[in-house]
Formats: sequence, C-alpha cells, structure tokens
Amino acid sequence: MMAVLWSTMLLQMRKSFVRPMFRFCLLANPILNTILLYEMFRNAGEENFMAYVVLGAGLMGLWSCICFSSAGDINRERWSGTLALIFVAPASFPVIILGKIIGNTLLSLLTLVISLVTAVVLYQVPLTLASPLYFLAALVGAVTAFVVISAVIAYLLTLSRKTELYMNCIEIPLILLCGFVFPVTVLPPAVQTLSRAFSPTYAVELLRMAVWGVKDAGLFWQKYLSLAGLTALYAGLSLLLARRIDRRVRISATLEVA
Amino acid sequence: MDNVIEVKNLRREYTRSQGFLRRKKQTVKAVDGISFSVKRGEIFGLLGQNGAGKTTTIKMLTTLLAPTEGSCKVLGFETFGEEKRIRPRINFIFGGEMGVYRRLSARDNLRYFANLYLLDRKCKEKRIEEILTLVDLKDRADDLAETYSKGMIQRLQIARGLINDPEILFMDEPTVGLDPLGARMLRDVICRLREQGRTVLLTTHYLPEAEELCNRMVIINRGKIVAAGTPEEIKNGSETLEDAYVRLIEGVSV
Ligand SMILES: Nc1ncnc2c1ncn2[C@@H]1O[C@H](COP(=O)(O)OP(=O)(O)OP(=O)(O)O)[C@@H](O)[C@H]1O
Ligand SMILES: [Mg+2]
Repeated sequence: MMAVLWSTMLLQMRKSFVRPMFRFCLLANPILNTILLYEMFRNAGEENFMAYVVLGAGLMGLWSCICFSSAGDINRERWSGTLALIFVAPASFPVIILGKIIGNTLLSLLTLVISLVTAVVLYQVPLTLASPLYFLAALVGAVTAFVVISAVIAYLLTLSRKTELYMNCIEIPLILLCGFVFPVTVLPPAVQTLSRAFSPTYAVELLRMAVWGVKDAGLFWQKYLSLAGLTALYAGLSLLLARRIDRRVRISATLEVA
Repeated sequence: MDNVIEVKNLRREYTRSQGFLRRKKQTVKAVDGISFSVKRGEIFGLLGQNGAGKTTTIKMLTTLLAPTEGSCKVLGFETFGEEKRIRPRINFIFGGEMGVYRRLSARDNLRYFANLYLLDRKCKEKRIEEILTLVDLKDRADDLAETYSKGMIQRLQIARGLINDPEILFMDEPTVGLDPLGARMLRDVICRLREQGRTVLLTTHYLPEAEELCNRMVIINRGKIVAAGTPEEIKNGSETLEDAYVRLIEGVSV
C-alpha cells in the first residue's frame, strides 16, 4: 500500500514535470503573476508584499497546477488507455488517485518558492514572515485542503468526461472567490457567504494571518477549525464518490474512450 | 470439468446520445445474449466482424464493464460484484499503442505495474527481468517508451499482461503491429502459458492464427453467437476456416 502510494507519487511528478503545459503553470506562471501583482499592489500603496504578491502569485500558480494537472490527468490517462489498467489493478484505486494528487500538489508547491524568489530578485522588496510556525501549520492545512479538493474533482472526472469543461470554468472564479489575491472582505456580502463554503478561503486567510503575524491565536485556531471541518466534509464527499464510482463507471462505460 | 469462464445469456447495451440540438438517446445492443464456457488450460478464440461485440465481451470478463443482463463468471466469481476476488488472478492485453506510460521506460512501466499488482520486492525484479527477456525488449528496457516503435510498445503491453503471472490472460487483437518474429514470440508465449496450465482467451482477425492456436472458438456476429466449437467443427467440411467464416457471417447478414 505504501509502495503503491509512493511509486504513484514519483510517477506522477515525473509525468507532470515533462509536460510543457505543466511546466508553464509551474515555472512561468508564478513569475508572471508575481510581476503583475507587484505592479498592482505597489500602485495601491500596499506595504506587505509577502501577503499579497508572493502568496497571491504562488497560490494562483498552485491552484492552476491542480486544476490542469491533478484533475486533467484523469482524462489524459483515459486517452492513453492506462485509466482502465489502474482501475482494475488489485491496488486500491483511491490510493492510486491519492498518490497522484499528493505528488502533484507537492510539486506544485514550487510555485510559492518561485514567486518568492522572483519577488526578492526582481524587486528586493522587504519580505516579512512574522509567525513562521503558524505559517507552517497553515501551510499543512492548506496543502491538505487542496489535496482533498483535487480528490473530489478527480472522482467527478472519472465519472464524467465533461468535468474538464467545468474545471476550466471554475479556475478563475475560485481564485477570486477564495481571496487568493485580495481579501474576500472586498466582495459583496452575498458572495462572501459563498466564499465561506470553500475551504481554500480559510487556508488563504490563515496563511496571510501568519505572514502578518498572528496577534489573536484564538482567532487563528478558530479559522483553522473551520478549515479542518470543511476539509473533513470534502473528504467525506470524496469517499462517498469513491465508493459510488467503482460501480458507476462500469455501468456507464466512462473509463475509456470507445 | 473445471470451467474458469462461464458466460450465460450475457447482454450489454450502450446508450449514446445523438444529434446536436435535439439530443436523442439511442441504445446499441453490443452483446446480445451470448453463452459459452472456457475450461482451465484452454486457448479460446473469440472471432467476428468489426463491431461484433468482442471487445465488449472481454471488457465484461475483465471486470471493466458491467453486464446489462445475464451472468458472467470468471474463476467462479461474478465479474460485477465479486471483482476483487478475480482481479489479482487475471490480466489483459489490448492491441494497439494504448496502455503504457510513454514517459517511462519499459522497465519502469513494469515496475510500476508490479507495484499495482502488489508483488513483493524480491520477486518483482526477478519477474521483470524474466519477462523482458521473454518479449525480447531487454536491449531497450531503459529507453523511454515514447521512443519505441509500434511493435515494441505491443511487446511491452504483452510483458505488462504477464506481470502477475495470471491464471487467465485475455488478449484483444494482440498481434496487431507485431513483426513476424514478434507474432511468433507471442505464439510461443501463448503456447508456454498453455503448457503451464494457464488459460488464454483471445480475439483476432487473423484466421490462420486462430486456427493454429485455439482449442475452441466462438464466432460472434452482431452480438450473437453464430458458431462454436473446435476449428475442425467450425470448418464443418469447408476447405479453410476463412471459407467457413465467410459462409457463417454472410449467411446471417443476408
Ligand atoms: N463506449 C461505448 N459507447 C457506445 N457504444 C459502444 C461503446 N463501445 C462499443 N460500442 C459499440 O458496441 C458495438 C460492439 O463494439 P466492440 O468494440 O465490442 O466490437 P469488436 O467486436 O471488438 O470490434 P473490432 O473488431 O472492430 O474491435 C459497436 O457497435 C460499438 O460501436
Ligand atoms: Mg475490438
């Protein structure tokens, strides 16, 4: 079981890294976004570039990688005929999916590093990270949240080939909705309620709090709890989906392109 | 007798929607009530025209597809519902250039699938060396599969299908794209499997090959069985298997 998880992770990282589209999302995207965001926020008089520029660009890159890779990969495997093979292998399909997603997400974390390096090298901006330990905790929470979301998307993709279309539609709205580049509080109240249903919103808030310095530890952990709760909810959903798909895909014949 | 495959009144329909604006649902009867059984140690052929339902039948047998109706048992278990008991003990090879990770070498492909079949570390490497030699890919085993020719990918597919030393091997047009030596290698592999008491179910459009290899076969046309038996029985006095085949298929369509 660990061997399956581990080898799938490595395989996925290798497969993703050689794909030009992924490399663009992973390497070029955060650099460009960092430059854009830097110019935007400098004009707006923002002082803490870490909170919005580095984190914003990094998270956008991370999210694109997830949208196009963790999820899109199911379709690629479908087209190359390997989806059917991994589906009927004795190793558990959910473990294989998890391995792929963890591999991709860890690789995608590079976007944060790249956007950090870009900001430092290009602009020599003062970057402050006030509460490193809180940041680490927030990062672990964020990565877990993203992994779980990817799992839900991956299962939906196994069920329906149209999911990829919907994926492309939600990529940008989610960046705005979850406050990757600006706080959700600038959104209209009705929209904010919607933001609260998505776990990345909390993950982003936590990361930003840690960058600024956590003054109210109670609030931090309260938000952390919300994140954990939502993530657990998503995880439950993905388990439910995992159980359903095993029968469903064989009835509807969506494992392969005919 | 020890039947490892038992199929009874098996049916499978596909629904597909047609039309752009006004979408109509249409059902296609891909497999329409077929029954046959295969004994342990047999080489069994599934023949028929394009679109006859051969691949669909194999998919149901390999737990990839749910039957619409009827029963489909492999090694005594239903392929839909008891698939966990079946999967570690069978494997399949689909013809064509699908089903390998092109960004990995042959050896890494096999290593990965060995993991998915939960082989333990020690026997894994030994097994991989064995089958690489068997399919004659050893020289190129460490090159990426995307640099392989069609036939080499086909050889890799065959190797992958053998990774878990399956009791039953399903092969859908396994000789597609193989050179004469490759085709002979495959025949040797199949004969070797037979000597080891393994069962093989294969489809092919190449009738002489089917005649040479198969103990028994069925001919399917439009989802229904039109003939079954040993090659001799199917020939039933015709000069060649091809003559008999043409007679059977045309006799039904006209
Ligand atoms: N996923 C699918 N969705 C809809 N129809 C399908 C699907 N797969 C197969 N069919 C249809 O089912 C029928 C049987 O197809 P199948 O692939 O089993 O034929 P086959 O005997 O393997 O043919 P070939 O010799 O060309 O490989 C065909 O009419 C095909 O169009
Ligand atoms: Mg076919």
